[in-house]
Amino acid sequence: MEQNQNNQAQGNNSQVQHQHQNHQTHSTQHNSNQNENKKHWYDRWYKRMLLPPVILLIICLIYLFTFYSQTGDIIYKDSSLSGGTTITLKAELNIEGLKSYLEQAVDNVNIRKIADLSTGKQIAILIDSSAEPAILKPLVEEFIGYKLTNENSSVEFSGSTLGKNFYKQLVTAVIISFILMSFVIFVLFRTFIPSIAVIFAAFADIVMTLAMVDILGIRLSVAGIAAFLMLIGYSVDTDILLTSAVLKKRGDTVNKRIHRAFKTGIFMTLTGLVAVIPAFFIVTGLPDSFRQIFLILGLGLFADIINTWLTNASIIKWYSDYKKMN
Amino acid sequence: MVFRLQKNELMVKINFRIWILIIALILALLMIYPRFQDGVVIKSVDKDYKAFESGLRPGMEILEINSVKIDSLNKYLEVTSDLLKDSSEKRISVITKKDSFIFLDSNLSAITVSEIPNSNIKTGLDLSGGVRALIKPVNGSLTDLEMSDLIDITNQRLNVFGLTDLTVRSAKDLEGNNFLLIEVAGAAPDDLESLIAKQGNFEAKIGNVTAFIGGDKDITYVFRDATQSAVYTPEPLGDGSYLSRFSFTITLSAEAAQRHADITNRLSIDPNSGGQYLSENLTLFLDGELVDELRISSGLKGQVASQISIQGSGIGSTPDIALSEARAQMHKLQTLLLTGSIPYQLEIIKLDIISPSLGEAFTKSMIYLALVVFIIVSTVIFIRYRKIKITSAVILTMFSEMFITLGIAALLRWNLDVAGIAGIIAGIGTGVNDQIVIIDESESKDNYSMKEKIKRALFVVFGAFFTIIAAMLPLFWAGAGLLRGFAFTTIIGITVGVLITRPAFADLVKQLGDKQ
Repeated sequence: MEQNQNNQAQGNNSQVQHQHQNHQTHSTQHNSNQNENKKHWYDRWYKRMLLPPVILLIICLIYLFTFYSQTGDIIYKDSSLSGGTTITLKAELNIEGLKSYLEQAVDNVNIRKIADLSTGKQIAILIDSSAEPAILKPLVEEFIGYKLTNENSSVEFSGSTLGKNFYKQLVTAVIISFILMSFVIFVLFRTFIPSIAVIFAAFADIVMTLAMVDILGIRLSVAGIAAFLMLIGYSVDTDILLTSAVLKKRGDTVNKRIHRAFKTGIFMTLTGLVAVIPAFFIVTGLPDSFRQIFLILGLGLFADIINTWLTNASIIKWYSDYKKMN
Repeated sequence: MVFRLQKNELMVKINFRIWILIIALILALLMIYPRFQDGVVIKSVDKDYKAFESGLRPGMEILEINSVKIDSLNKYLEVTSDLLKDSSEKRISVITKKDSFIFLDSNLSAITVSEIPNSNIKTGLDLSGGVRALIKPVNGSLTDLEMSDLIDITNQRLNVFGLTDLTVRSAKDLEGNNFLLIEVAGAAPDDLESLIAKQGNFEAKIGNVTAFIGGDKDITYVFRDATQSAVYTPEPLGDGSYLSRFSFTITLSAEAAQRHADITNRLSIDPNSGGQYLSENLTLFLDGELVDELRISSGLKGQVASQISIQGSGIGSTPDIALSEARAQMHKLQTLLLTGSIPYQLEIIKLDIISPSLGEAFTKSMIYLALVVFIIVSTVIFIRYRKIKITSAVILTMFSEMFITLGIAALLRWNLDVAGIAGIIAGIGTGVNDQIVIIDESESKDNYSMKEKIKRALFVVFGAFFTIIAAMLPLFWAGAGLLRGFAFTTIIGITVGVLITRPAFADLVKQLGDKQ
């Protein structure tokens, strides 16, 4: 960041010099080349800076499309969305043994342990399967040798029609949420291109996050999809900061405005990232829904750095050059 | 009014906005009402058990059971599982805060308890434990009238448990489907599941003819006290499992009793039974499944009998399981006979039964995590700005925001679930972002007045606020509103942020800036 600032300062100086020289004399060929070199790096590079995020976005879209054609959906779903049972059992036992035992009888068995945060001791295990409780419960009881009660275990069941229904509705909710957000952005800025730039960045955030979630093999729950809605709202604040800095400020050069917004915005995002990172590492002690929300926000913030400061910034810079806002 | 922060330091004028923050904090404290008390409180007492007869009721705080001091839920679970070890009837003494109760029973499964809350903040099912069920008719949707009937009948059925935190309501989703939503907070009775979504079509047949059915038209009274209802000692079956029988008496209406007499009158006496029984049996069906088949004594032929004994059994791998199975079966049958049937088939499309003891570990982890996040964010802010005053203002704001949000949740008796807590933390995250915008804007070397700078910062703050509100709104309806908690706390959190803490923070920063 420090270096950026220096560049920025030099760049601005050179711009001043450049104007000054032009004004004074007819510059020689040699001189103008030098001036071209001295032109601020951002002015030379910003259009090209659009390329990496666009390529990345296309790769992500292709990935998601392939994922869809292979699995029939754009995400992996857990039992709350696809239908099935999750049993949380307060016990210490052999996970592998239980898994192979259950797999003989039911499909899609996933087992993981839950440990106490401070001691690391296994406090419970989470058994997830597409089977109904009436089938899964007796099997688990057989393996552990005692009855599952409300005291020693939790049993969560979602019917497969409900799961599908929930999923469909949550996808609708994501779309409505995106439309409402776009509407707010248009009302805020009342100019077409800058608003579209913000919305495009938010769209890219979602697509990239979705691709990362799939690559990591995360099985999304109801709460996980809700996190995407939050991401829609959460990721645009840096875009608003950037756009309002460029559109509403007078006086400074556009580069300076973008740079200032960058300094504030990147710090916001980094603070957000360091805040969600503990949730990445504390894998075993937290409820699944909680972890998913943080995980998705984290991935989304990461994507947001690219999409705000490469995609959105380049578009708004292009727009302001076009409008000669300097 | 002027507060002196430090000797020779700049002073912060407590103006209107900061006053609002202070008042909001005090109100939140009153709403949350933290208190420090150990022990457990009774959440429900089953009316069919001795514990209820002895006078134990929901809301009582338990201090001791059989002379063991109960200071936590774990201690309670320890003592009650000890009681379960042998199934014989024994003397159980329960000392509550105001009274003591002594009764004979084999265990304490008639009551459910939860820890005495430390504040008015209520946690959701996934943390406090409980049952959540979503129910819908197998075919099609319900009209509003059918739904309200269903709510009534479900309430009646679940009433036998004497639950305190029971919600039975309809829930609509984005597509306009309506569901019956049942929520029981805290520990839920084990046999609750068997009572929800049962159509409850009870039918007593003699031969192929229906003698009487469930509901108050045919059955005027169902005996549930110990004199007319009983569960018998389990007997071993040949295959290593056990069977426990139960029986209870019901009173038939005059019309049903007459019908019963007419049917038996037409029957002959079974010669194979030595003249003891009639040729046909009384078969009991519940939702099409055979509950029991009883022989009819030949003496009843043509008799108008208004009291009839209903029998059944429970089977289990141990005597204990057989006994509790029989008890649950009897319970279910009694309740369904009393409340009658629902005229359409229902299915449970979602059923979550959450153990209260697991929620505790989760709550602990989340508080721990929130604390870590709090410290990390404060440190990062300090590293960036290297100003104690600004950092403390940020910490103060983060804390105020969380505290006021919790206060509002307590006021509205909102159940904070896991997603809700994530929403609060995410809300605070946006809060920090907003503060960074305000600090950076106010510290900029622009030629604008401080007021103008703050105004610019607030444009970004409000812009971000409205986009989050817009983004979270659909969650109020999607998925039968089960994610409302997440949307609600996020929206409350950021609203508190922009209306109360942010203006106060902007003012603090402005004052700090003006002084420099």
